[in-house]
Amino acid sequence: MKKFFYKSSLLALMAGMFLTSCDPEIDVASPSAGTLDFTKYVAVGNSLTAGYQDGGLYREGQLASFPALIAQQLEIVGGGSFVQPLFTEAQANGSGYLKLTGFNPPATPGASPSPILTPVTTNLAVRTDVAPLPGGPRLTKFTDPVNNYAVPGMSVLSSATPIYGGVNPYFDRLLADAEVGSKSYVAKVAESQPTFFTLWLGNNDVLTYATNGAVVNPANPFGDKTPVATFRMIYTQLLGALAKGGETEGVVANIPDVAATPFFTTVTLDAIRKSAGMSDLKVYIRVAEGPTGVRELGEGDLILLTTQAAIGRADQVAPGVTIPHGFHPLNPLTDSEVLDKDEVAEVRAHTQELNKVIAEVAAANKIPVFDVNKFFTDRFARPFVQNGVPYSSAFITGNVFSLDGIHLTPRGNAIVANEFIRVINTNYNTNIPLVDETQYRAVLLP
Amino acid sequence: MKSKILALLGSALISGTAMAGGYQVNLAGQRQIGMGHTGTGLVTGTSSIFFNPGAMSHLGYSGVTIGGSALVSKIAHSAPESGGVTARTDNPLGTPFQVYGVYNINEKFSAGLGVYTPFGSTVDWGNEWSGRYGLNQLKLQAIYVQPTVSYAITDKLGIGIGLSYVIGSVNLQRSVPVQSQDGTEGGIELDGGAESAFGFNAGIFFQPTEKFSIGVNYRSRVDLKVEGGDVMFSNIPAAARGNFPEGTTFNAELPMPSTLSVGIGFKPNERLTLAADVSHVGWDAYEKLRFDFSQNVAGSPFSEASRNYENAFIYRIGGEYMATDALALRAGAYLDKTPVQDGYLTPETPDSDSRGLSAGIGYSVSENFSIDASFLYINKKERTDAADLSNGVAGTYKSVAYIPGIGLNYKF
Repeated sequence: MKKFFYKSSLLALMAGMFLTSCDPEIDVASPSAGTLDFTKYVAVGNSLTAGYQDGGLYREGQLASFPALIAQQLEIVGGGSFVQPLFTEAQANGSGYLKLTGFNPPATPGASPSPILTPVTTNLAVRTDVAPLPGGPRLTKFTDPVNNYAVPGMSVLSSATPIYGGVNPYFDRLLADAEVGSKSYVAKVAESQPTFFTLWLGNNDVLTYATNGAVVNPANPFGDKTPVATFRMIYTQLLGALAKGGETEGVVANIPDVAATPFFTTVTLDAIRKSAGMSDLKVYIRVAEGPTGVRELGEGDLILLTTQAAIGRADQVAPGVTIPHGFHPLNPLTDSEVLDKDEVAEVRAHTQELNKVIAEVAAANKIPVFDVNKFFTDRFARPFVQNGVPYSSAFITGNVFSLDGIHLTPRGNAIVANEFIRVINTNYNTNIPLVDETQYRAVLLP
Repeated sequence: MKSKILALLGSALISGTAMAGGYQVNLAGQRQIGMGHTGTGLVTGTSSIFFNPGAMSHLGYSGVTIGGSALVSKIAHSAPESGGVTARTDNPLGTPFQVYGVYNINEKFSAGLGVYTPFGSTVDWGNEWSGRYGLNQLKLQAIYVQPTVSYAITDKLGIGIGLSYVIGSVNLQRSVPVQSQDGTEGGIELDGGAESAFGFNAGIFFQPTEKFSIGVNYRSRVDLKVEGGDVMFSNIPAAARGNFPEGTTFNAELPMPSTLSVGIGFKPNERLTLAADVSHVGWDAYEKLRFDFSQNVAGSPFSEASRNYENAFIYRIGGEYMATDALALRAGAYLDKTPVQDGYLTPETPDSDSRGLSAGIGYSVSENFSIDASFLYINKKERTDAADLSNGVAGTYKSVAYIPGIGLNYKF
């Protein structure tokens, strides 16, 4: 009897050891780089590639930039290290950015509470020892070799001109003092010699114009729509420098539809009416010069997110006479506060033309295209649920777009990184694992 | 004394992870676990209270059985296109148990009481995995207390019926996709005890010859209802707190499905017993998981996710060989078809067809006292699902379980 218990307890002990070592396994295709060489992955692009979000470039956003996430996944299949021009911990807030610090209670029942966005002004990388550039104050330099070449504000047009280093502080930041004003972005990028690259440029060749309500700022030589022929010439040069006629593999991404972002879709007539508590309120916009250039806001007109604060503002139009901004033909929303429906059509048409150029130049270089335009319109513009989280292009609650309404949250970057990876896997027969997007934050709430 | 023991069991023991189809836990008797959990067509001992009350009157003695299993279950998850295992459960040891007492009133009548745990689930994925907004952990517990009577119409035919008194509880925890400025995520916990519910367990047992026996058993559906369960929120940012109001309660209902079993027993010689069972589980009772809230949570007065389980069959075979007069060797196997349709997989029961292999021994220490030990290995088929119809978590799941158990029998 004693022996029986001794034996069975020994058996139980052995069984216990056996059990803890027997974890279930799952047969999935193992990660593979295929025939690609990810030793040196280089990312070329603008703010979206830099990790810019919440209206600024700062360390946390940089760390969650989609190319940084792609590089992290490439490491699983043998990719090399990926250096970003990170702001230091001490200057972690970089250019400064917007933080959500609260909500104003809804003006009327049924209206949405309006978010309070507060600029972060501490621990900046802003330089006070030198004069600001036309594009803003200069930032602490990062002139070591990088893998993420992205420059917020960079357009295909501005990438070709050497003077741009003296205009854009984010580009200035990556250049040695002697190169500022003398080296173009195309020349800088051509030095990178990648083994693999992503190129997502061209947004600012329409977006700068669109976010200014389709009004060209005369002080900004890069503020208009880039002519298609010019775009084609520079894009060919840029992609040629990276792809070297098909010698180097990579992926290019095209230009999303501007109307797919909350910057253009949040402030609607319905929202204004609810906020004002008047269901028949009319909003007036200026669409052309002169007294006949004012009309009612209608279907298809997009009010910019940045216009929100000015709506209903009591403007003095004559001594002793104030009219709420936008609520009367004598004080309409200005041309640059609204992308009216003709302008939307104009920007869309131009986006399509530039995307056609991107597709053609990519095909000539045998480089696959990530159709971001389709992805943003199909995916973000229609609400979807992934891993139990709802996503949409809604401002703040949509989880994809950051507080500036144009750039992505870290979560949005992870979703986009995964699409890039899918394009790589599909076109190059690799098996790069996707990022767990839930590990990256959406908008943080106060 | 007995009630004290029962109360102790009820509070200290947690029923096992759902290792049968859905959240059914088929671990009702140590001898039968060793035989692939067959037993509808056999006189299984005091556990006939569960397997077939009709056979209880053919037991021929009074006795008490107490037994339990140590359920080690492990589930792995691979997120879509992730290239490997991305999450594993850290389930606590499950301890499904059974207590049976049968009193042989006379040759015709016997009465008994059984306490057992045929349903339950404890799954702990933690709060870091990619599916945490679907589930952190679920504890589902149901204890059946079943007074039973059995009557031998002839020495070949017996009938029996038991009334099941069912108590249960549920605790479900999820992460909420809202984050504070410091990055902490919100959480929601639903916790509630079910109102007592009743069902029945009835059976017919027929033994036309010495060698052959057959039985039919039906265990009715029982709906467990939670009313006024607590909804607790944690780490909700101030700006979102209006959406997750304190003091919210919930109502919910979960069906414990009916099971109809037919089983046969065959004794080719004195030493060998063979058995086969087929069970039909009425899983179609589980259409949805719905929580009704006393106040709006995240803007809605309820949360509902489709389940749409299908009825499923379980096929079992088992055998027992008396190596000596005192020592019994047992083995068995079963196939438990999943009730979960494609598109409806969930992290609380990432179910698929499961295959069970069992072995057991029985040893009679004396004429009155015997011990049963069993070991059951369950391997569920790897299953990949988009989980797009159940608000589940997409990916590939694989589950295994190792279940040693021991039971003590005393005859008088």
